[in-house]
Amino acid sequence: MELELLTTTLARALAFGTPLLLAALGEVVAERAGVVNLGMEGMMMLGAVAGFIVAAATGSLPLALLVAMLAGVAVAALHGVIATFLLANQFVSGLAITIGGVGLANLLGKEWVGKPLAAPMLPFDVPVLSDIPLLGPAFFTRQYALTYAALVLALVVWLVLFRSRPGLTLRTVGESPAAADAAGANVRRVRFLAVLVGGAMAGLAGAYLSLAYRPAWGENITNGMGWIALGLTILALWHPLRAVPAALLFGAFFTLSFRLQAVLPPELLTLLPYLVTVLALTLIAWRGGRGAVGAPEALGLPYRRGERE
Amino acid sequence: MNISYDRRRRVGGGRVGRGASDLAVMARRYRETRAPAGPTSEVFIMRFARQLAVLALITVFYGAAAQVSETDVKACWLYVGPVGDYGFSYAQDLGRKATAADLPGITTAYVEAVAEADVEATVDQLVADGCNVVLGTSFGFGDGLLAAAERYPDVIFGHATGVERAPNLLTYMADFYQVYYVNGLIAGGLSSSGIVGYIGAFPIPEVKRHIDAFAIGVKEANPDAKVVVRWLYNWFDPAGAKEATEALIADGADVFAFTEDTPTVAQTAAAHGYPSFSHYASMLPYAPDTIASGQLVNWGVLTTDILGKVIDGTYTSTNLQDVDYFWLLSQGAVEVGAEPGMVINPAYEEALKERTVELANGDRLSVYDLALLRIEQMSSDPVAFDPFTGPVYDRKGNLVYAAGVTPSVAELLGLQWAADNVEGPWEGEP
Repeated sequence: MELELLTTTLARALAFGTPLLLAALGEVVAERAGVVNLGMEGMMMLGAVAGFIVAAATGSLPLALLVAMLAGVAVAALHGVIATFLLANQFVSGLAITIGGVGLANLLGKEWVGKPLAAPMLPFDVPVLSDIPLLGPAFFTRQYALTYAALVLALVVWLVLFRSRPGLTLRTVGESPAAADAAGANVRRVRFLAVLVGGAMAGLAGAYLSLAYRPAWGENITNGMGWIALGLTILALWHPLRAVPAALLFGAFFTLSFRLQAVLPPELLTLLPYLVTVLALTLIAWRGGRGAVGAPEALGLPYRRGERE
Repeated sequence: MNISYDRRRRVGGGRVGRGASDLAVMARRYRETRAPAGPTSEVFIMRFARQLAVLALITVFYGAAAQVSETDVKACWLYVGPVGDYGFSYAQDLGRKATAADLPGITTAYVEAVAEADVEATVDQLVADGCNVVLGTSFGFGDGLLAAAERYPDVIFGHATGVERAPNLLTYMADFYQVYYVNGLIAGGLSSSGIVGYIGAFPIPEVKRHIDAFAIGVKEANPDAKVVVRWLYNWFDPAGAKEATEALIADGADVFAFTEDTPTVAQTAAAHGYPSFSHYASMLPYAPDTIASGQLVNWGVLTTDILGKVIDGTYTSTNLQDVDYFWLLSQGAVEVGAEPGMVINPAYEEALKERTVELANGDRLSVYDLALLRIEQMSSDPVAFDPFTGPVYDRKGNLVYAAGVTPSVAELLGLQWAADNVEGPWEGEP
């Protein structure tokens, strides 16, 4: 029974944590380049609706995923222009994109409410691996292809950020844009591209919800997941690999809040993921601020050549 | 009734951040079904038109004093959620459309995603736009509607799911408890594990009443089965509904009912091949093989009756103090069915015909026939059966309703006890 509880909790944590992980990875890339993107929720919504409409109209999941990512990229480009070229307040721009994105997605999706998807993305058991005791039921049973894609993407983002020259440039742009500029990097272009990557990941996260996890379109389908992803980015300390256990932690508390409702006060379990985030943030602040834990030094600061940082 | 759990929470969602999406829906809140006439650029025409309008208003005003003609009624709805929620506000809007079709002379309009605090200001806007009947459709709108009814004594107000009335404010409700009881019979008849799952929104009397009626039905068809309840603490929480269903499946549940505004529970159960029920709207398209039956609402039946009586002069802005609708199966306000017309999904007909139940009078009936019998008994006027007729015991062993006693509407509206086959947290349990 205890083992069943463990494996089921991990499996559900993975399923619920996938969109959080995808969006958090996108946020890690953008924030590592120094751009805060509060537009995640809006980008996820647009990805969700765009993916759903394309999947419903054409029946093609790959095309739907592509369009979902492009929808995220399109709005991210807006944020990117505002944040990196016009040097306006990133927080205001991101919030505006969330508010506008949610509204626009609901408007675009209006006529698709109540219409099921004929061919959604289906969960599957991974051959051979699903037969492994414990690990099989926990990670390789009834999961979606996008979940494994998200895990692979975490590795890819880590490799690019920490094991490649472009990644080094990106992180330098986020830490000290003036130094990166002096070293010959195009700060604005790097930041702009990082924001676009973030938008693509957010679009994919939204598509996971409307094409696989639900699968359905309904108003406010993300229901605040974009904001959780922002918290996750901090909980993961801006590290793509740490985002995986952080997403699992959020997912585990969420599923346990229902599984253990009979024995533990549900309010406590509903509260726990947020308590963990607050504790983590407190711990981070206590341990010496953003520099000590890996927050990019120039996070949220627009870069103008020649200005003192 | 616990105010903090009111229907206002049908939008947004408390579990995860909600502010931004609320702002977004607020931004496109006001919408009319009839587009206003475009403005003319000529100022003098405007002035002339305005004078004409004043004249027309005066004429209408005096005319209205004599009799409200059908074409004068402009009924305006206030929804708590977006009409695209495919749940409560969606059902309210279907009701508005049905009434507009039933009474072609009237004009209708609606405002969606109205926050509780904005009710009065929204009513101001609606009355300024010519609405003479205002229908608020959320429990939490009560205070705002009462204040507005006092400020606009000539306007007729209606409050769906409300409890407080005024001379120009009536209340109306389409309640599901009989429907949930029939769904419980079907759930009990279909459960092999003896564990029936119920995903509830908030532990408030309305939801508890429905769970109890459902559990009484389950017990009648399957005396050993229990109903395991998990709460979302939210009217809208698709991810929570999904994980709650998965958690119940892990704990052995094999039939599912719910109170949540999306088809997520039905979809999740279907992915495991387990039966479930439609809630509010038909969710059959989402799980065509596994929606066994469900709860369907026809708010339009109520609003057509209300507006019909406004048109024929039965209801005026002075005689609504005691007008309270608590409509059930017999009035056609609610319906048992996976979708309108499909009481029980043919896919489960055989299973339900195989399982038999012995009634109190010694007759043996299949669960299928029993469900149809109960629908027939509760659809007659006066009803020939009520699931809450005593003796009814709660799960603590207390006698709630003595033998032969049927609770009053007021008792049903304040119901707090848990049926003796219900398991799970139950806040406010007496």
